[in-house]
Amino acid sequence: MQNQRTVADGLRVVVRASVYAVLGGAALIAIATVVSVLGPLLALDLYTPPVAAWWTVFTAVAVQGVPFLLLGTVVSAAIGAFVPERVFRRFLPHNPALAVPVAGLAGAVLPGCECASVPVAGSLMRRGVAPAAALAFLLSAPAINPVVLVATSIAFPGQPKMVLARLLASLGTAVLMGWLWARFGKEKWLRLPGRGTPSAHATGARAFLTGLQHDFLHAGGFLVLGAAAAATFNIAVPRSVLDLFTGSPWLAVPLLAVLAVVLCVCSEADAFVAASLSAFPPTARLAFMVVGPMVDLKLLALQAGTFGRSFAVRYASATWVVAVAASVLVGWWLL
Amino acid sequence: MRRYGPAALLLLTGGAVLRITLFGDLYLRYVQAGLRPYLIVSGVALVLLGLVTAVLRHRTPGPHEDVHHGDVHHGDDEGHEGHSHGPAGPRVAWLLTLPALALLLFPPPALGSYSAGREAAQRAAQGVGAFPALPAGNPVELTVAEFSSRAIYDSGRSLKGRTVRLTGFVTHGDDGTWYVTRLVVTCCAADATTGKVEIRDADDDVLPADTWVTVIGTWRPKGRLGSDAAWPPVLDAATVTRVKQPADPYENP
Repeated sequence: MQNQRTVADGLRVVVRASVYAVLGGAALIAIATVVSVLGPLLALDLYTPPVAAWWTVFTAVAVQGVPFLLLGTVVSAAIGAFVPERVFRRFLPHNPALAVPVAGLAGAVLPGCECASVPVAGSLMRRGVAPAAALAFLLSAPAINPVVLVATSIAFPGQPKMVLARLLASLGTAVLMGWLWARFGKEKWLRLPGRGTPSAHATGARAFLTGLQHDFLHAGGFLVLGAAAAATFNIAVPRSVLDLFTGSPWLAVPLLAVLAVVLCVCSEADAFVAASLSAFPPTARLAFMVVGPMVDLKLLALQAGTFGRSFAVRYASATWVVAVAASVLVGWWLL
Repeated sequence: MRRYGPAALLLLTGGAVLRITLFGDLYLRYVQAGLRPYLIVSGVALVLLGLVTAVLRHRTPGPHEDVHHGDVHHGDDEGHEGHSHGPAGPRVAWLLTLPALALLLFPPPALGSYSAGREAAQRAAQGVGAFPALPAGNPVELTVAEFSSRAIYDSGRSLKGRTVRLTGFVTHGDDGTWYVTRLVVTCCAADATTGKVEIRDADDDVLPADTWVTVIGTWRPKGRLGSDAAWPPVLDAATVTRVKQPADPYENP
């Protein structure tokens, strides 16, 4: 009996392997022929300046994201593998309403851009941190860390109010979004990350490596997706279109807030881009810097991958509205 | 491939990052120079992680390896896009091969006149004021951005009577004017902004766009300081020399 099964299994494997080999080989030969005949012709026709620029921007966004993504996944895998749940229970208040601002302020200690914060927020939830608090951290970490604030003060020399306004508006948005989630958020929108992933329950060095490998590859794929979207908008929408709208502050603020979403500039660089948009009123530039680290296409792809699409769409649109409102309020008060 | 897919992806990504940073200056086409050490560390870490992953997979076949119920235990995962991973790892991760292979096989070129022409050149926001003195000696080497801000905003007129040298690529205006243009990149090529200086020179031959040149000449004042009329600044060229594209094709702010 046992023998028969092994033989049958062996036969099945052999048959399957040969089918794969024949089909795969035929497909490969077909593809190779078509590519080698048409490839050079097509490549010359298709490799126009816009296409070349698309590839450059696409690889640039991806390359730039790699170190930050790796930093984020190392931190998140370390949290998953080495930090026991009781640590978070001790440090974070039990009441979500209190835990949200604490988590928001804690965002100041992760020096990275938005690519790093998504996997970290995911692993915080996996470790039993209340989603509302982890989401506040997700929004505040890329926006208010010291590297970003220093970059802002360099980009706007002699305007310390701009740095303060950015800090207040970003922190305000993050905390408010955390509270909104605690009050109105539904568990079913949020697919808690890590169910069924190898790193969910194990601990130790082996779990660290498995978690790191899995998280990096997973988030990296979505980073590439976001980079493609960013490059497409970068090439498709000329920035000179914007000059039509510089006059009216009512149009300028939402316009730059939309621009922040489609340009996907890293949060450590967006202050310089904002500074170069000199024709716009300061409040609109503040909105650009508040929205950028919290909502952009690359981030949307990363969030959809980590927390699920239905969450990402709802959360990102709510965040956009809150961030614009916060920038207008703070800008009106300070700038 | 199922078993070693993740390891191969990590090695490919790490290898691509190392190829553009450790073995040459290609990374300067995509990101600013300061990112190099972080990229090298990331590349080495990814290659090591890939090797360790391959060894671990090799040693332990593990329960996931059984072909017959490959993905059954992920039943609670439906709708999790790109997360249909058994041992092969997340499927969406295969997208990483696109930029990685592009970097390894056909590194995309630096942005040039196409990108510069698509957006109105920006000038840095700043007020009129006195700038620090230029270094001694003629000609003095300046970036296109530095020349522009001094030409437009320097109440001390530090450019007056100086010979300057600018390097950039050629772009053309509507009416036969041409510019020495340089893109300014803060973090990565996605945030590139344009700076340009109009060149007036004696000889008539038209250089094609994207030709890299070094221009030596003197500033021709125009318009009131800080006004739109002062922009773009103008340089009377004494010599125009073709040069190779510099290692760093962009300027940093």
